[in-house]
Amino acid sequence: MRALVWVLAAAAVAALAIVPFTLSPVMVQFGISMLLFAVLAQGWNIIGGFTGYASFGNSVFFGLGTYGTAVAMVQFHLSFALGLVIGAAVAVAFAVLIGLPVLRLRGHYFAITTLALSEAVAAIISNLDIAGRNQGLILPLIRGDTMFYELSLGLMVLATLTVLWLARSRFGFGLIAIREREDAAEVMGIPTTRYKVMAFALAALFSALAGGIQAYYLTFIDPASAFDLSLNVRMIIMAVFGGAGTVLGPVIGAFLLSGVSEVLASYITGVASLFFGLVIIAAVLFTPKGVIDAARRLPRRGLAYFLDAVRETRL
Amino acid sequence: MALLEVKKMNAGYGDADVLRDVDLHVEEGEIVAVVGSNGAGKTTLLRALSGVIASRGEVRFAGRDAAGMAPDEAFGRGLVQVPEGRQLFDRMTVQDNLRMGAFRRRDAAAVRRDFQRMYELFPVLGERRNQLAGSMSGGEQQMAAMARGLMAAPRLLMVDEMSLGLAPVIVERLLEVLTDIQKQGVTVLLVEQDVHSALSVADRGYVLERGRVALTGPARELLDDPRVKEAYLGL
Repeated sequence: MRALVWVLAAAAVAALAIVPFTLSPVMVQFGISMLLFAVLAQGWNIIGGFTGYASFGNSVFFGLGTYGTAVAMVQFHLSFALGLVIGAAVAVAFAVLIGLPVLRLRGHYFAITTLALSEAVAAIISNLDIAGRNQGLILPLIRGDTMFYELSLGLMVLATLTVLWLARSRFGFGLIAIREREDAAEVMGIPTTRYKVMAFALAALFSALAGGIQAYYLTFIDPASAFDLSLNVRMIIMAVFGGAGTVLGPVIGAFLLSGVSEVLASYITGVASLFFGLVIIAAVLFTPKGVIDAARRLPRRGLAYFLDAVRETRL
Repeated sequence: MALLEVKKMNAGYGDADVLRDVDLHVEEGEIVAVVGSNGAGKTTLLRALSGVIASRGEVRFAGRDAAGMAPDEAFGRGLVQVPEGRQLFDRMTVQDNLRMGAFRRRDAAAVRRDFQRMYELFPVLGERRNQLAGSMSGGEQQMAAMARGLMAAPRLLMVDEMSLGLAPVIVERLLEVLTDIQKQGVTVLLVEQDVHSALSVADRGYVLERGRVALTGPARELLDDPRVKEAYLGL
């Protein structure tokens, strides 16, 4: 059964890899956005799903990734690869610096504090000449959707393999202990502060790399779109919808919800987000542990699974 | 030489000292009980020893200076706590809780042997190894918490309020386990409100009153001491 899952996953990756050579350019563009969302959801999964810290700061890491890459390429004429590295380094450094004080807060206090980060960093960037102030930056244009697509796919696979390692490693076990009961984790000799900061930095790494790819792909960035809080909300929804704290859940959540919102947007343009909201409410009600949990237990439990879920949710 | 030696320890919260000039020592292989009523400073003593709060005074553990250690450093040296209120990982299985106790150990073979040892010491945990810790009874949870602490291969196991909220017959069983693990070479510092239980199993005892050591001596003598009888045993 386990082996089957990984064979299927490998087959899915292979199928995804040949998309740019078989499907239309529109599908490739949709694919890039879907894959980057999967990376972001997986990044959130590390700090939110495994460690239990509901971060609203991941969109800041994404934004720092876009700006790090853009500034390196536009102002210093460095290569895209170097830009990605710089963007990621800036985001990871920021995660460590801000994580040390902020990760001392728990629960809602942590969420609220990270919520404010987006606005604060966007305001700083809007006043920096080197970052193009309010106008943003225009990156050199290249035509290379296939390259962006394969890069995004590679990043998604890398993020998922990282989470797979997390789910099996001592480090990941420590993060789960922190999520389940931080005081007890401390009593058991787990260096909680170091672990939390490392998880935050790892989440920042993947968010920033996704941001860097996005910046070069769209060739234009400005503070409003780079530090968009609603992006963070989407990561959370996708990760939780698929199954937070699981290896494949966030990817599945990102794929399904990207698909749903794309279909809704093309058929019922005006009220698409309303229907998107309904999908989310239904998901929270009926599959609160994520579709991956539902897929695992539904065959055995049948409709009773949904009834139990509604009862347990206690709205 | 004593395994743990504390001299003139002062500790507390903010400017208010709870512990005042506490002297205490634990020899290798002993069970030492620290008893006293609510607010006497028992938990503060444990928190100071495990580095959760700061303290002044001299602390030596296993022959080395141990004052002002961080909690994970204290743990690394073998000062392991079984916290008050058990603090299990409720949504994890019994087995995973025990694995968590061995988190810092890298000797896989010895850890496997210790799992076996725990399931022999607490057969009920063996039966329920795949059950969620939060779904067990209070007594079983206390056993799981002690087994988790023992999985860390402690040099000194500090057990905080083990008997809290448990039926006398369960407490009896847990006390037997303490003597069992003493025979296996584990040193125990037992902090208890239940003066009679604690002293009945301990080698030596300390009676804390308002942050000071009011009485100390062999547990037998303390149990017979008129002052202890009057103040704590209601005799």
